[in-house]
Amino acid sequence: MPWRAVGAAGVLGLLLAAAPRLTGDQADGWYALTVLRASALAFALGAAFALDDPARHTTAAVPTRRAVRHGLRVLLVVPVAAVWWTAALLLVPAPVRPPVAGITVEAATALALALAGAALAVHRGDGARPGRAVAGGLLAGAVLGPLFAPGHWALFVPPDDERWAAAHDRWAVLLCAAVAVAVVCATEPRRRLGRRGLRSPSGTSGPSRA
Amino acid sequence: MTPTVSASGLSLRYGGTRALDDVSLRLSTGVTGLLGPNGAGKTTLLRVLATAVPADRGAFTVLGHDPGTSRGRQELRRNLGYLPQTPGFHPDFTAFEFVDYVAILKEHTDRAARHREVRRVLDEAGLGDVRGRRIRKLSGGMRQRVALAAALVGDPAFLVLDEPTVGLDPEQRMRFRELIARAGEGRTVLLSTHQTEDVAMLCHRVVVLAEGTVRFDGTPAELTARAADRVWSSAERDPGAKAGWRTGLGTFRNVGDPPAGADLLEPTLEDGYLLTLDGADTEVTA
Amino acid sequence: MTAATETPAAVTAVPRASGAAVIALARFETRRLLLRAPVLAAFAVYIGWTVWRTRTSWDGFPALQDADRATQGGPLLVGLAVLFCANHAVLRSRRHDTDRHLDVLVVQPWRRTVAHLLSVAAAALLTGVCVAGQFTWEALKPGAVGHGSPGELLAGPLSVLVLGTIGVLLARLLTSPFAAPLLIVLLFFLHTVATAPDNGHTVRWLVLTVGENTATTLPSDLLGRPAAWHALYLTGLALTAALLAVLVSGGARLRTVRAGVVGAVALTLVGAVAQGQGVSRETTEARVRASAAPEKEQKCAERDGTTYCVFPEWTVRTDDWAEAVAGVRSLAGGAARDRPLLVRQRIEARYGLDGDAAIAPATRPGQVTVGTAWGGNRVPEFTAAVAGVLVAGTEAKAGAMCDGRMVTVMWMALAGRPDPVADLRRVRLDDSDRGSAIVLSQTEPLRMTAAQTELVRELLRRPEREVAAKVKAEWAGLTAPKVTSDQVAALLGLDEPEEKDECL
Repeated sequence: MPWRAVGAAGVLGLLLAAAPRLTGDQADGWYALTVLRASALAFALGAAFALDDPARHTTAAVPTRRAVRHGLRVLLVVPVAAVWWTAALLLVPAPVRPPVAGITVEAATALALALAGAALAVHRGDGARPGRAVAGGLLAGAVLGPLFAPGHWALFVPPDDERWAAAHDRWAVLLCAAVAVAVVCATEPRRRLGRRGLRSPSGTSGPSRA
Repeated sequence: MTPTVSASGLSLRYGGTRALDDVSLRLSTGVTGLLGPNGAGKTTLLRVLATAVPADRGAFTVLGHDPGTSRGRQELRRNLGYLPQTPGFHPDFTAFEFVDYVAILKEHTDRAARHREVRRVLDEAGLGDVRGRRIRKLSGGMRQRVALAAALVGDPAFLVLDEPTVGLDPEQRMRFRELIARAGEGRTVLLSTHQTEDVAMLCHRVVVLAEGTVRFDGTPAELTARAADRVWSSAERDPGAKAGWRTGLGTFRNVGDPPAGADLLEPTLEDGYLLTLDGADTEVTA
Repeated sequence: MTAATETPAAVTAVPRASGAAVIALARFETRRLLLRAPVLAAFAVYIGWTVWRTRTSWDGFPALQDADRATQGGPLLVGLAVLFCANHAVLRSRRHDTDRHLDVLVVQPWRRTVAHLLSVAAAALLTGVCVAGQFTWEALKPGAVGHGSPGELLAGPLSVLVLGTIGVLLARLLTSPFAAPLLIVLLFFLHTVATAPDNGHTVRWLVLTVGENTATTLPSDLLGRPAAWHALYLTGLALTAALLAVLVSGGARLRTVRAGVVGAVALTLVGAVAQGQGVSRETTEARVRASAAPEKEQKCAERDGTTYCVFPEWTVRTDDWAEAVAGVRSLAGGAARDRPLLVRQRIEARYGLDGDAAIAPATRPGQVTVGTAWGGNRVPEFTAAVAGVLVAGTEAKAGAMCDGRMVTVMWMALAGRPDPVADLRRVRLDDSDRGSAIVLSQTEPLRMTAAQTELVRELLRRPEREVAAKVKAEWAGLTAPKVTSDQVAALLGLDEPEEKDECL
């Protein structure tokens, strides 16, 4: 369980959350919101490495099902995430703190997307350490999302905007979708889908030919 | 024959263990085998000779270059080909790209000539038709051959191969032997292996290393001769033998001091090797 | 297995070829870096977005001192992708455990780092080509005015260079794969903190690109942006990161590298201090002069009875303005047709680019104010101001006007335009063509009542010649002060307006 990644990400997230306190009382609601979003993203990036297992191929044949093994890791990450998020929220001064329910949904969605991405990468590609690719994808989503998301979805509005509640309903939908993907991908693939045969002979000694 | 590689008094400590203890040897052109149990210091010796790690004490020269100086080390590396134990790969490189990358790092700057050279070594290693395939799509034997091709690029005069045939099936191993034998013509090849048949087939000299010291340095025939009249067959396990095991035919093959009147067998290199390790290892029983 | 009948002569490496080897390795790494998916995607998004925006930027009349700033945003995306991928490339041998093998080869690790840095420089160069392309496109537009600044144009490619070298340095310092994504989040955050509006000048310019949240265009000598110092700062930053990376990967034995690090840090500090000085006194004084007494700085030219006094960079636009003025004049009647007009360009530069202060309307008779922007909505706003002055005499009076004369003014402003009703919507604040509204202008806005809007719409429906003849014939009556909308309707032969006629 790559605790170093999660730990480093958590420390960075807490540093970011503490920033409004450190810069004095120049902070306003938008600043605090951006800071919390950055914190949530940082933790999610660390969580993207949670399913990294260098020994995945060696332990491929154990009786414990993959769902159980992944579930165990998620079960370890989620309480840590909850404690960490509470700390981050408390670090932001109360007057400028955005609505807790909404921002928590956003943070939970980021975490779920990271874990779902990692589960999907393992399910489809059977890589041992998909963390970096998932982190890259999550970053790309975080950068391009605000640029390209349709305006009427209003996913990234400030808290005093009237669309906050509606926007966070959409975030909740995204959260459920991510959780669903994570659950589905937690199982081992029963069959090779389609005509996709063995993609690489890395696990074989190969035909003996010139 | 003038020695191409001369080492004297090489010593190296890792923490508390003495990995190499006053090792001296001389190598000339041809294939020299390095035998020894695990932890004997084979890999360490090869790494020292390949300038991957400096020795604590002692010195060596390769083709007249002294790796103690920076310039000497660079010159040595220009004439060196190294195949490490279980080599790593960049899986998304193609075979051609990986060998080309190593060739660039060996300072082959002329692009056309370099690509010709890369194609040459890949053909020699039998990978001519999988040049453009990504390494992650190659089988274990092919990957090993890619590593060997990378070691051969630039036609180095000194080749250091650390267990190059591990994990290969017999046919692949035979092809490797062909390659190494060809490479040994006119070059100095130091080959570390566990497979005594490889040494018997390929090497004109063999060095046995155990616990960091040289136990034997001579021809394979001499090593085999050590076991002359010291290998016998019996119906039951002989407690006086240094090593004994049940063969597939049901009889026991014993190595050691035969009792009088024992049924002597033709010794192999492995028997000589086992006897040379005597005193360094615990008894080997099946 | 092919058996070579004759092994070709083996290639031996030439001594002192280490520089050429680094170049060869750099070419290898550049090809891999530029073909990686994140970099390709970043370039695709950057180029696509830039092309899409530049097609219609500034309605075809860019000021090059704004266009150079507009090149700075897109490269940041490329820079982040390059950071991520360069980091990945340097960690490649660590990840796949090939260090054991590659470290005994001739090219030392610090030279391999130099090759990675050169590949990052190649990506920065490619970004520079894109920036040059974008700027050239803007400069070649027929309506372009002003001068770009090389410092501003360099900021984009230099940002890519800084981010890429930081990626390489990070890989040499921390071999964990999660370091780069976390660094990106940290960089984002630092950027947000540093560009918070309350921060002083010094801190603000420490980030890679400093944008201005404004649509105002100022003459290039009044901008007060330390573009050249900022380019120096970025160069110093990139060199520091690059040389530190070489230092950390084993180049510390070389005196040139150690000296280079010291020099690069000094360069960065010089740039950071110089760029943080704020707006210089000369610029502030020039801004005050340009805002309060522009006539001293401007050049005047005459066209068809109208004098155009503009800042030196805008003299090429005189023809466009003259065309608009001529269009309005041709529809005027009476003495207004030949009244001499003075079109003076005015700006409010005292608060720099952030300032959004309105310009006071001119009180001299016959003076029209024009701004620095053109094209799109600015054209009907200008023609409305010209028509207002022709009818009311001065800009100040035109702003205060709220009677039936507005019908004439608005008709004159819009009739000569290619799509008058659309322009009517654009020139009004709420984009409507019914009801009362405010008409935007460079100085004081004009006001239209609902009745006047109805009349104008009706007039625009009629053929232009017919209405023009009527306007010219009834000019005196139409432009008499305090004439009501009903009277105007009667004079022009229209039905009485049904809508309200109350001024706002």
